[in-house]
Amino acid sequence: MRVVIGEDEALLRQGLTHVLENAGFDVVATAADATELLRHADERRPDLVVTDIRMPPTHTDEGLLAALHIHREHPQTAIVVLSQYVQRQYAVELLTERPSGVGYLLKQRISDVATFCSDLHRVATGGTVLDPEIVAIMLTRARRTDDALDRLTDRQRAVLALMAQGRSNASIARQLSISEKSVVQHASNIYSELGLPPSSDDHRRVLAVLRHLDR
Amino acid sequence: MVGSLRLGLVLLGAAVAVLGGVEIALLAFGNAGPPLWLLTGFTELGWTYAAAGLVAWWRRPSNRLGAILLVGGLSWIGAGLVNTTVAVLIAAGQVLATVPLAVVVHLLLAFPSGRLRSRASRIVVAAAYAIALVGPAPQYLFTPAVAPDGLLFVADRPDLAALSGWLSPVGGVAMLAAAVILGARLRHAPRAGRRVLAPLYAYGVLAAVFVPATAWARDLLGLGPELRFVLQLVVLAGVPVAFALVLLRGGFARTGQIEELGAWLGSVEAARPTLEQALADTLGDPSLRLVFRVGEGYVDAEGAPAALPRPGSGRAVVEIDQAGAAVGAIVYDASLIADPEPVRAAGRVVGIAVEAQRLTAELRASRDALRRSRLRLVEAADQERRRIAQNLHDGLQVQLVLLALDAAQVAKSADDAADPTTRDAATALRIGIDDAAAALRRTVHDVLPATLIERGLATAVEDLVDRLPLPTDLQLSVADRTLPAAVEATAYFVVAEGLANAFKHSRARRLAVRVTHHDRGLEIEVGDDGIGGASLEAGTGLRGLADRLDVLGGRLVLHSPTGAGTRLLAHLPGTDPPPAPPLPRAQPPHGTGSPCAS
Repeated sequence: MRVVIGEDEALLRQGLTHVLENAGFDVVATAADATELLRHADERRPDLVVTDIRMPPTHTDEGLLAALHIHREHPQTAIVVLSQYVQRQYAVELLTERPSGVGYLLKQRISDVATFCSDLHRVATGGTVLDPEIVAIMLTRARRTDDALDRLTDRQRAVLALMAQGRSNASIARQLSISEKSVVQHASNIYSELGLPPSSDDHRRVLAVLRHLDR
Repeated sequence: MVGSLRLGLVLLGAAVAVLGGVEIALLAFGNAGPPLWLLTGFTELGWTYAAAGLVAWWRRPSNRLGAILLVGGLSWIGAGLVNTTVAVLIAAGQVLATVPLAVVVHLLLAFPSGRLRSRASRIVVAAAYAIALVGPAPQYLFTPAVAPDGLLFVADRPDLAALSGWLSPVGGVAMLAAAVILGARLRHAPRAGRRVLAPLYAYGVLAAVFVPATAWARDLLGLGPELRFVLQLVVLAGVPVAFALVLLRGGFARTGQIEELGAWLGSVEAARPTLEQALADTLGDPSLRLVFRVGEGYVDAEGAPAALPRPGSGRAVVEIDQAGAAVGAIVYDASLIADPEPVRAAGRVVGIAVEAQRLTAELRASRDALRRSRLRLVEAADQERRRIAQNLHDGLQVQLVLLALDAAQVAKSADDAADPTTRDAATALRIGIDDAAAALRRTVHDVLPATLIERGLATAVEDLVDRLPLPTDLQLSVADRTLPAAVEATAYFVVAEGLANAFKHSRARRLAVRVTHHDRGLEIEVGDDGIGGASLEAGTGLRGLADRLDVLGGRLVLHSPTGAGTRLLAHLPGTDPPPAPPLPRAQPPHGTGSPCAS
């Protein structure tokens, strides 16, 4: 899988490259600012772009804007944006632009190499990945206005959060140390409680959940 | 106001020019007698007086000498009408024939301010005008020879016509009285002034008596009538030129106006112009500036720093002392006021008033300095927060990611080497580092949320509310980045502090945040339905915020009755901090009044 990395911090750029190459990704180019990133995306047509949100020259949200631009220009290129902190607004902007093949993660998640790399694969194959922290914020926000969420059990809310992060049933089962079968059972209960249409497709499921949370 | 005066003067000048022109035309077409250059002598005199008067009025708007000179000019043109051939104009000319001489007396006694200051001088001038109007009357009323077809001719009564002879000595007495008054003034004048005044007075008196005197002395000197007339014209034409010159250039002349400054000091405060304006009018320099000594430098009336002109800039400086201490300085145009002495004299007159205004200006300056300094502190604090947040993001957080990566690497190697103990320890280490990174993110967010820097107030407040576990009504009518950075940051801290207090102390079940940006500024409200009883004085958070708002020209209000919830209200101006508001009116005893006046 061909990857372009955008990260202005040299050590982190190297670390990220190292992690991805060890995990079998083909890092075809790295960029230290948004302009370079856009150029590489144009020339190399990678399967995946992994970029920091904060980039020179203004060190605000250049990376995010570049990612949104790449999304528009090259719909086949998947995007994962990394940030030192997460913000619901950025996630909403990303998902509104094109709700598949996108990921939004805290930078700190890189160090959990196995989970990080599987997240990248999921995004590259058209999935959606959201950082647990952003999902927690969305759940907090949604609970204020949605009584149905309050009626869920703690376990059901944990399953819902993992679903919103873009996890598969197998991954949720592993995370919560329960069987895949009971994940399916929880999911079906959550659907009926929230009034969501049942869906076997992981990707469709995450979008339905996110739409519900971000009403 | 100066503009409308000048427009008026231009119009007056044009009117006088036209009047004189009409008169010359009348003289040219109606006369077959004496040569035209003789006949137009009065008109030319009139123009000379009027021109001198207009120049003096223009340069010294507050001085009435210019107006008197102008009246003199009109009276000369009037007197010249006697040589026309139109009956009614001839009559007017006869009536006005000697009025110009009374004007000369008026000029003499009204010099230098243009005002008649003593009762005696007012009586003498009134008498001079009366004699000038009445004196020639017996001639044109009762002597057919003077005006054969005169409109004013009543009867041929040589007995009554002889009254003129009686009136001449009365005129002489009036002239003598004027000379006595002038002599007394000369004695009391300072020596420098005397040098200018004595020749001027002497010349004026000479001119006033010259016309009658030449009439008496014609046989003695044996001068021809034409030569005599030319001599009279020259002597009389010199009068307005001399007066105007002394008024404009002679430093002494302004002492009269400085007395007016004294009158200004005594006038009702609300009605009088600023001290600076009064000085500018008095000294005849509209560009004059009054500055006040504060510390080692100078400030203007509003307290803003003012620099003194450099030598060679064409502007001169006269220091004003009060009780031995420098209190201010007058900055003026050296080409307009050649002699610094009258400026010094003016400075002495207004010394006390300047000192009083100086104290006000000093207060304003120090208050402005204090406000600016506090604003710099707020901005420096924000800058520092921003720097800390940036450093933590760019430095420590990156390091923590790299450390966690290393730990992950160690765990992987240990796993490869079938060393589960080391692998588990390294994984625990990685998770610990992740926890530290999470704690650091929260700290950075508390110091200054990146959202505020990257997006602005609206997004940052939304983000803040997003993270709240309590139901919160959010009403935002403010766009990101439409406000100065210090205002945005302050507004954010108000919301953050209000929400934190409500969450921690109020036991509220619902919160409400409203941020409204309108043309009067920014309104912020944070409310809850909790137990109330909060106080601005409790804790440093709200107190510090109140200070911060005060610096930016805003205010913070807390309504928190026990048991009835809490409302934190803040108002912030939507622009950068405003200039200091005016001081209370009662403050300056001789102040400029409203600072808007200048």
